[in-house]
Amino acid sequence: MNRYLPLAITALAILALATLFLVIAPGMQISAQGPTSGLKPYTEAEARGREVYVSLGCLYCHSQQPRSLAQAPDAERGWGRASVAGDYAYDAPHQLGTMRTGPDLMDIGDRMPSQAWQLTHLYQPRAISSWSIMPAYPYLFTHKDKAGPDDVVVKLPAKYAPKSGVIVAKQDALDLVKYLQGMTRQYAPPKDGLRDNGYALIAEKQREATDATKASN
Amino acid sequence: MTDKKPDPRRPDETFEPFEATRRIPWPVYSIAIALAIWGVIMLVQTSTAVQVADKAQTEAAKQEPTKLAQAAAPDLDAGKTLFADNCATCHGDAGEGVTGAFPPLHGSDIVKLGGAKAVTQIVMRGIGGKLNVNGESYEGEMPAFGSVLSDTEISEVASYVATGLNDDAKTISAPEVADIRKVAGDMDPLDGGAGLAGLINNLPAQPESAAAEKGPGSERVAQLVSQGSGTVWACASCHGDKGEGTETVPRLAGLPAPYLAKQLHDFQKGTRPNDSMAYVAKGLSDQEIVELANYYATMTSPSGAKPSLEGDLKRGAQLAKEGDWSIGVPACFTCHGPSGVGVAPNFPGIAAQQPAYVAHQLAMWAGGARHNSPLGLMAGIGKALNDADRRAVADYLASLAPMPAMDKTELAAMESNIPVREGVDQ
Repeated sequence: MNRYLPLAITALAILALATLFLVIAPGMQISAQGPTSGLKPYTEAEARGREVYVSLGCLYCHSQQPRSLAQAPDAERGWGRASVAGDYAYDAPHQLGTMRTGPDLMDIGDRMPSQAWQLTHLYQPRAISSWSIMPAYPYLFTHKDKAGPDDVVVKLPAKYAPKSGVIVAKQDALDLVKYLQGMTRQYAPPKDGLRDNGYALIAEKQREATDATKASN
Repeated sequence: MTDKKPDPRRPDETFEPFEATRRIPWPVYSIAIALAIWGVIMLVQTSTAVQVADKAQTEAAKQEPTKLAQAAAPDLDAGKTLFADNCATCHGDAGEGVTGAFPPLHGSDIVKLGGAKAVTQIVMRGIGGKLNVNGESYEGEMPAFGSVLSDTEISEVASYVATGLNDDAKTISAPEVADIRKVAGDMDPLDGGAGLAGLINNLPAQPESAAAEKGPGSERVAQLVSQGSGTVWACASCHGDKGEGTETVPRLAGLPAPYLAKQLHDFQKGTRPNDSMAYVAKGLSDQEIVELANYYATMTSPSGAKPSLEGDLKRGAQLAKEGDWSIGVPACFTCHGPSGVGVAPNFPGIAAQQPAYVAHQLAMWAGGARHNSPLGLMAGIGKALNDADRRAVADYLASLAPMPAMDKTELAAMESNIPVREGVDQ
C-alpha cells in the first residue's frame, strides 16, 4: 500500500464527484428556479420579525418544511401543502429546521392568523395549553400601569395576568407575530417545483397497467 | 556470545511486506459490473420519469389556452352536465322546480325577463330572501356558487338555463361573467325579490325586502366578533371577517345556531377538546354563546375553501352522495342534508367547509380525541374511513357551494331550543 498518487487521485475524484452531484448541480438547479410566483418578499416588519425568530432559536424546535402526502399527514394537520425550493427564495439563511418538537410553522399564518392569540401564546404558552413545553418569552413584553394609545395589550386570563396594570407587547413581539402571520404558502406550487413527481406518474401508469390486466382477466 | 544470532521467528532484513500480486477474484468483478449496470438503469429510469412528468405538464399547459379559446361560445352540453351536477338536486332535472319549495327554472318569468345575465348574478351571489316566481311565493335560500364554479362554468350553466331550458336566444360568455364577477363577485346574496328588482326591469310584484333586524345586544356581539373582550381573542381574528375559516380553522357562516352553541358549551366543559377554543369558551357567558351562535347562523359568505389535499374527488363524491356500505359508511348527505347544507339543529352544514379542518376532524373522531357527536355517530364513520377516503371526502365537500344562511324567522322559532345546560341534546 504505497501507491500514494493513484490513491490520492481516486480519493479526490470521489470527493469532487460527490461535491458536483450533491452540492453544485442541485445548487444550480435550485438557483435557476427563483422565487415561486405568489411568494412575496418580506416586508420590513416581517424581516425584523424574522431576525427575532432567528435570535430566539425557534429553529431548534420548529421546522418550516411540510412533507408531501406520501410521507406524512402534514396537510391534514393543516400544515399546508408540501413546500418546494422556490418557497425559500427570500430566506438566507433558511430556517428549515430538522426538529419537530413543536409543530411545523410553514403555514402558521393560515392556522393561527390571530395576532391576539400569538401574543398571548408567546407571553405564556401555558395560558392556552397547560401541557405545552414551549418556553415563555416574557422579555418580549413590558408591564405598564396603563396602556398608551398605540400600545397592543396582551389578552390574558386572570391566572396569568398581572395584579394591576397591563402587559403590553414590545416591538420585537409585534414584529415576530407579523413574521408568523406572513407565513402562508397557499398559492399553488409551480409545476416544475423540484419535487420528484416523475416517480408518482410512473407509479400511476403502472397502477393503470395492472388495473387493465386485472380487468381483462 | 558476542554475536547476536538472528531470531529465527523474525523475518529476514531484506523482507518487504508486499503482497504478491494476485488476480482479482471474479465475484468482485461481477459485483462491480452489476453495480455499474444498476446505476445506469436507475439513471435511465429517472430520466424517463422526468420526461413523462415534463410531457404531462406541457400537455396540461397546452389545454389551458384551448379552453380559453372555447370560452367565447359557451358549451351548452357542458352547461347541461353542470346543471345536472349542481342545480338538479333542488330545481329538478328539467328545471321544473318543486311547488312551494324550489322555484322552476323552465318557463320562469324571472329567467325570461332577466336572461342569462340575471341567471349569472343569481348563480354567482345566491339568494337570501323571499321572492315570487310565476306568481308563487318562495323562501329563496339559494347558496352562492361564485367561489365554486369558474367563469367558464358559470357562463355555460347560465347560458344553458337561458337558452336550453327557456327560449331565450342570448347566451353569456366567460369574459362577460368575469366582468360581472369584478363588480358583484364578493357581494352578499341577493335580498330575494327586492334584490332582483334592482337587477331586472319590469319585474312582476315581489315581496318586500326583510332587512336584517338588529336585536338587543347585537352591538356587543359585533364587538366580541371583531375586537374580542379583555381576556378573549376576537372570533374574526381566526375565523375571518366573513366567518369563512382557513386550513384547520372551520367555516362558521351559516352553521345551525344550536350546533354552534353546543360546540361552545362542549369546549367549555372539555367534552370537545381544543385548547384555544376552551380558552375562548370559558371566557364567554351563556348569553354571549347564544348571541354568537345566532350571529354566525344568520351569516352568509362566499366559500373560502378549495380542494387542497390531493383527494380523489370522484371517491369523495361517492362517499358524500351514496356512502360505501362495504365499509359501513352511510352517505354524508343522509344526515347533513342535500348537498351538505346541514340539517338544523344537530347536523352542521359541511359544504364549503375547509378541507384540512374536515380531514382533521375525521381523524380526531377516529382516534377518539373528538367524541361529542349524538349517539357516537361520527366515531364509527371516522374509524371506517382510511386516510385517502378522509382526504377525498374533505376535498369534495370543499368543492361544494356554501350553505345558505338560516332564515331569521326559522331561527326565532328554534331559539327556545338552544341548549344552555349540559346534555340537553346528547
